[in-house]
Amino acid sequence: MPEARVQILRCGRCGTLDAGPRLLCPKCHAAAMEPREVDGAGKLLSWTIIRRAPARLRALQPYAVCVVDLDAGVRVTGRLQSIEGSFTPGARVRCVARESDVAIFTAEG
Amino acid sequence: MRGVSVAGIGSTTFGKHGEKAIEVLAVEAAASAIADSGVDDREIGALYLGNFISGVLTGQEVLAGIVGDNLGLANIPCTKVEGACASGGIAFRHAALAIATGQCDAALVVGVEKMTHAPTPDVTAALNCAMDNRADGVSGLTFPGLFGIAWRVHAQRYGTTRDQVSAVVMKNKKNGLRNPLAQMGANLTRELIAASPFICDPLQLYDCCPASDGAAALLLVATDRAPRRKGPRIDVAASVQTRGAARIAGHPDLCSFDATVEAGKRAYEQAGLTAKDIDFVELHDCFSIAEVIDSEDLGIAPRGKGAVWAAEGRTAVGGEIPINASGGLLAKGHPVGATGVGQLYEAALQLRGEHPNQVKDAAIGLTHNLGGTGVACTVNILRRSDA
Repeated sequence: MPEARVQILRCGRCGTLDAGPRLLCPKCHAAAMEPREVDGAGKLLSWTIIRRAPARLRALQPYAVCVVDLDAGVRVTGRLQSIEGSFTPGARVRCVARESDVAIFTAEG
Repeated sequence: MRGVSVAGIGSTTFGKHGEKAIEVLAVEAAASAIADSGVDDREIGALYLGNFISGVLTGQEVLAGIVGDNLGLANIPCTKVEGACASGGIAFRHAALAIATGQCDAALVVGVEKMTHAPTPDVTAALNCAMDNRADGVSGLTFPGLFGIAWRVHAQRYGTTRDQVSAVVMKNKKNGLRNPLAQMGANLTRELIAASPFICDPLQLYDCCPASDGAAALLLVATDRAPRRKGPRIDVAASVQTRGAARIAGHPDLCSFDATVEAGKRAYEQAGLTAKDIDFVELHDCFSIAEVIDSEDLGIAPRGKGAVWAAEGRTAVGGEIPINASGGLLAKGHPVGATGVGQLYEAALQLRGEHPNQVKDAAIGLTHNLGGTGVACTVNILRRSDA
C-alpha cells in the first residue's frame, strides 16, 4: 500500500501542531507556523458521502469527506479514497495520497 | 444597562417571492413592525440589518442604508451585520445593546435573504462562503456534509436511530402546517423520510431545510419608553453572542457546538434562569440532526437524548418543552439572514398568546441561531413582563 505523509503546521516557538492554514499559532500567537510533514496513520472519527458537491467538485461526486485524528497528535479533514467498503467510527486509517492539498485516507492494513 | 423590550414585530411569508427585490421584502417586514409598535418612527435611533449573502446572490449590498432610506428614517446609523446563518440573531443583539447602553431609545432590527431565484449550484457555492474555505472548503465539505459527519458520531455514541431523528422532521413539518408564514409544512411518514434520496449520508432529503426568500423585523424600545398596549410587555431577558471553531477539525467534539453550549450558559446566567424555566424554544434546525444536537447543547434535553425526546413527543406543542412550534427552519424555511429575526418574531407572537400554533401559558421563550461550522452563535431569551 502506498504511504503518504500529511502536511500540517508546527509552531517554531511552542511546538503546537495545527492542521492549518493559519498565520499565527493558536496557542502562543507567535507568527512562527512552519510547514511540517507527519506520519499519515490515524483514527477515523467520522465521515459522510457528499452526493451534491459544490460546482467546482461536481466531477468528483459522490465522494467521502472524513475527519481523522492523526497519531501525530492533530485532527485533520480529508477524503476517503473510496466511498465503498464498510468503515466504522474509530477505525484505523492511513493517508495514501495528497490531491490538491487534501489528504486522502483508506483503511489501514 | 437599561431594560429593552419588544414593541413591534413584522414578517413576510418565508418561501418563494419571485421577482420581488430583496430590499422590498425587508421594507415590508420593517414597515409592519413599526406600524405594529405604535412608536413614532422619528424616535428610531439605529437600524441593524442581518443579511448573509445578498451581494453574491442578488448583486445588492449596503442593504441597511437602502432599507433606512426606503422607510424614510432620519439620518441614523444603519448597519448591516453578517455572521452566516446567525446574521439575524447578531443584528438583534446589536440593536438591543444600542438601547441598553443608552445610544438610542428605539432601534429597528431587520433580517432578510433572497435565494430561490438562483440556480442550486450557485446557492450551494454561496452558502459555502460561510465555511473557512482554505481549511474545510478544499476537502469538498458542504454544510449538509458537516451535519452528516455529526450524525454518524451521535448514532455511534448514543445509539440514535433513523426513526428517532425522523420524529424531529415529522414534528417540525407538522408544526409548519399550522404556521401561515411557513414554506413547506407537511404530513410525513417515517417510511417516506427513510425512502427519500441521500444527500450526505446518513442525511436524507427531508432532513434538510429548503432555500427560502423572506424578511422579518422587530422594533425594540427602552423598557421605560415602551408604549402601553393590551396585555403584558415583552422584555429581552438575555442576548448573548459567542464564537466557536471556524473549521470542523477545530471542534473538540464533532456532535456538539461549543459556541451553543457557551451562549446557552451565559444567556441563562444573564436572565437569572435555568433551562428548566424555559417554556418553549425556537432553535436552529437547519438539518434534523442539528435540532437534536442544539437541544442537548442548550441543556433542554439530556446529552444523547435529543432525538429520543422528539420521538417521545416531549418537544411537540403540548409536550413538556415545545421546540420549533413555528415549523423551524425545516418547515418554515431558512432565508439565511432573516432566520434569527424570524425566530424572535415567532417567540414574541407566542408570548403575546397570538401564535397560530400556540404553546399554552408561554411566558419565557428562548431562540438559538447558529452560523457557519458553528463559528457564530446567538442565544436570546424573551420574557413576558408578568412572568
